[in-house]
Amino acid sequence: MLKEKLEKFFKIDRRWIFLLLAIVLFAPIMKPIGLPNKTISRDAQNAYTFMDNIPAGSFVLFSLDYDPSTRPELHPQAMAMVRHAFKRDLRVGVVTFIAGSTGLISQIFAKVPGEYNKGNGTDYVIFPYQANYAAVMTQMGSDLYGIYDKDQDGRDARTLPVMKGVKNYKDMALVVDITGTSILDQWVAFVGDKFNVPVVGGVTAISQPGYGPYLQTKQLKGLLGGMKGAAEYESLIKEPGKGTSGIDSLNLAHLLVLILIMTSNIILLIIRYL
Amino acid sequence: MELFTNLWAWFSGLFVITPAWMTLGAWVAVGLTIFIFSFLYKDNPFFKIAEHLYLGAGMGWWFQVYLYSIFIPKVWDPLMAHQWGVIIPAVLGISLVTQFIPRISWMSRYGFTFMMGYGAGLAVPAGLSTDFIAQIGGTIEPLSRMASMTPFAIFNSLLVAFGVICVLFYFFFSVEHKGAVKKVSSIGIYFLMIYFGAAFGNTVMARFSLLYGRFDELYTYSGSNYFYATQVILISMVLYFVVHALANKGKKGTSEEAA
Repeated sequence: MLKEKLEKFFKIDRRWIFLLLAIVLFAPIMKPIGLPNKTISRDAQNAYTFMDNIPAGSFVLFSLDYDPSTRPELHPQAMAMVRHAFKRDLRVGVVTFIAGSTGLISQIFAKVPGEYNKGNGTDYVIFPYQANYAAVMTQMGSDLYGIYDKDQDGRDARTLPVMKGVKNYKDMALVVDITGTSILDQWVAFVGDKFNVPVVGGVTAISQPGYGPYLQTKQLKGLLGGMKGAAEYESLIKEPGKGTSGIDSLNLAHLLVLILIMTSNIILLIIRYL
Repeated sequence: MELFTNLWAWFSGLFVITPAWMTLGAWVAVGLTIFIFSFLYKDNPFFKIAEHLYLGAGMGWWFQVYLYSIFIPKVWDPLMAHQWGVIIPAVLGISLVTQFIPRISWMSRYGFTFMMGYGAGLAVPAGLSTDFIAQIGGTIEPLSRMASMTPFAIFNSLLVAFGVICVLFYFFFSVEHKGAVKKVSSIGIYFLMIYFGAAFGNTVMARFSLLYGRFDELYTYSGSNYFYATQVILISMVLYFVVHALANKGKKGTSEEAA
């Protein structure tokens, strides 16, 4: 009798679970609970420390290679890292190899530079989308202007104050790649290892475990993984954003998954030994 | 080309962002999101509309990207500036299209040959150095400086080296997996399983993050400044399903439920 009742649990229409998950994710957006993000991973801390120790005025190249499909995870990471660069008075250059990210880059630079009184062309520059990343990365090793002679607005890149003294990777203090693709691997292989440039990454949570080997060998100086990585970096720079606000929803959703897994396993054990 | 560019500039001018366009954009975003999510309940025409729109819009988007970000700046503009050198890569690129015409498809081999040679030349040395030599070094190097390491770091280094050896044994098929080799390769499976478990856990977190992103936007667009787009479209969809269910009461279901 009890066995039959318990077996019904495994025949629940999965749409009830979808509904429950939707409620669990949506409720904290309407009414934030404020669950703290207390743990900072070693890789996020390393990324922060590396950026924090770069001398003011140095040039940092951001490669923002993500499109709307990975926006919730990677956009907060990019916002936080660009904020940190401006806070540290670093010069910022932006490139992209993903056409869909041009609008997202515009969103970041329509908002963030204004918060720190930074100007387009003097403190930062956005270069246009380029298709073939391998060719671009290789070319930038000798002369950046061979591929990026003009910025996104058509201005001569050589004459921009932000580019003063910057010709190739030797003049860059750090490359930051935030991507939902494997382009970070290419930054490590074609640029980090070849030209001895420090590389820091920001990737989706799915890709994060795969970068363990590069972190162990210090081929990557630091790494942010998914929305949690964004929340960690926001905590480090003390600028809460979308990453931090998403932690409530993520925590509750993970709790729901844990409860469902545990409940079904316990029921399965009872059924087996009853 | 100038006429085409001017026409495009005029057409783009129609879409200068105004609050009215933003509101319309919000309604489109909310509508398409809810239409796509509605498949979780069951297949319906609104889902199909969103699905087809996605494919069509995607094709249009990529066409303009290739035209304005690649063809015009990389081929057309240099040709107009009499830089004839671009003809060679352009012809190699065009040769790839000939594979759609069986009679002259042999021409595409030249383009592919160039791509393969160029790609292999770039990837092989970089891959060997970054993913092979550097990783072997990264596994062995910590073992050479154990005297200066903490007990935990020593354990960690040994575990990594042990894991690498066991997993390599698992993928070594030239020796029959029996006896000691079988035991080592079985341990390798456990290391792989731990990796897959971590990767799957992260995948779940990533999917929830993406869902959170959509819900966050739905909440943003539920405000009065967007004329309650989320509520209106959500209620309309629920009403559609209720009416549809009532109208088809007693009939054998033809629509597909969420897989």
